[in-house]
Amino acid sequence: MPILKRARPLLGTFVEIQLETTDRAQADRAFDAAFLAIEAVAKHMSFHSPMSDVSRLNAQAHLRPVRIHPDTWHVLQKACELAASSNGLFNIAIAPRLIRWGYLPDPFGRGKTEAVGQSADIRFLAGHRIRFRRPLHIDVGGIAKGFAVDQAVTALQAQGIRRGSVNAGGDLRVFGRREPLWIRHPRAPRRCTYLGDIHDQAAATSATYYSRRRRQGRIVTPLIGPRGARVMAGQSITVIAKTCMMADALTKVAALAGAAAEPLLKRYDARVYCVS
Amino acid sequence: MPRWNRLWASVALSAPIPYVAQAQTYLTEEQAQQAIFPGVTLEQAFRRLDRNERKTIEKDARDRFLSDEIKRWRGPHGETLYVDRVIGKHEFITYAVGLTAAGEVKAIEIMDYRETYGHEIRRAAWRDTFKGKTVRDPVRIEKDIPNISGATLSSVHVTNGVHRLLLTHDWLHAHP
Repeated sequence: MPILKRARPLLGTFVEIQLETTDRAQADRAFDAAFLAIEAVAKHMSFHSPMSDVSRLNAQAHLRPVRIHPDTWHVLQKACELAASSNGLFNIAIAPRLIRWGYLPDPFGRGKTEAVGQSADIRFLAGHRIRFRRPLHIDVGGIAKGFAVDQAVTALQAQGIRRGSVNAGGDLRVFGRREPLWIRHPRAPRRCTYLGDIHDQAAATSATYYSRRRRQGRIVTPLIGPRGARVMAGQSITVIAKTCMMADALTKVAALAGAAAEPLLKRYDARVYCVS
Repeated sequence: MPRWNRLWASVALSAPIPYVAQAQTYLTEEQAQQAIFPGVTLEQAFRRLDRNERKTIEKDARDRFLSDEIKRWRGPHGETLYVDRVIGKHEFITYAVGLTAAGEVKAIEIMDYRETYGHEIRRAAWRDTFKGKTVRDPVRIEKDIPNISGATLSSVHVTNGVHRLLLTHDWLHAHP
């Protein structure tokens, strides 16, 4: 069956959708539905857009409960569940440090003074409302990108597409077919390496080859662990999991914890590759 | 540095790999028109801008025109389609953007991209990956791109291009 491909600039990167069908009308409907699903996630969870759920939470949730979209609620619940099961290694409340290092903008001018918060400071209330126990800066960029991929796959399947894939800037998910998985070599990112085949699985890769910066004479990366531990440059971690949301979230934990992440990865039915 | 045991898969860098320039085509011009304005007959309405006109528009833009020709099509109800090209970090990207009659973005579709060769790269840091290669070295165009996991590039260059096209759209409206 012919493989049809389309790509659009979304989520700050390029989202490529592939699907197999002989029905062009079905293909058009499926592409539109899947890209719409991606746009919906971007609208609700973007750190950069002032009207997104995330921005409204960061601005007000420490003052009063803020009602959010059920999708955002779902992502936050998963994020907090993973924060608990990873003993805080996964933490969506580290935005203040990312702001200080120039990886995120500083919409409320708080970045320089704000302390890093904990996922445990997020309270879930009835009616999809969230309250923060204290001022927090949350950023769900990675996990939301994975969730967007999952939503797009669901949309494709709802349109009757049986085989395809969605790739949002390297967070990808393949369904209905077996596909070779390649990653960029961490020290020569214009070259690729074959890792293995995936089938009805998602993959995400955390690496620092495009996001390293120099700050006060040292290399910093946006992968931050507890006590500010910085992940070494020059390596990349790929997690294969059932959903792209979990694959993305688990790359952060795997990057920080190394072999100690094994039990957690097993629990989520995921596996990891480290390339250096 | 975290330690790994049997989950470790280590890959050596030293294997000699010919440089492969990746290229991908998603849509032709006609397919892009059909994707963005299905069932609509568009009429070609290209315009050429001279240097001063381009510079006027570029004053408020975040990037520059790569060509003096504006590829534009118009529909019967005020729709407009532009096809434009930008340079990303190290690739040329052709894309189409459709505007509604009100001049708002209806859709953006990537039409194709091609990674640049060593001598086309603007940023010195990236030229290092081509050390030892010259224009005469074999370059293979890889059209069968596998699914790659791992950060790809920012779409900022395309969105900057769209921003420039919106300015161009307004300018063309004022200077028919």
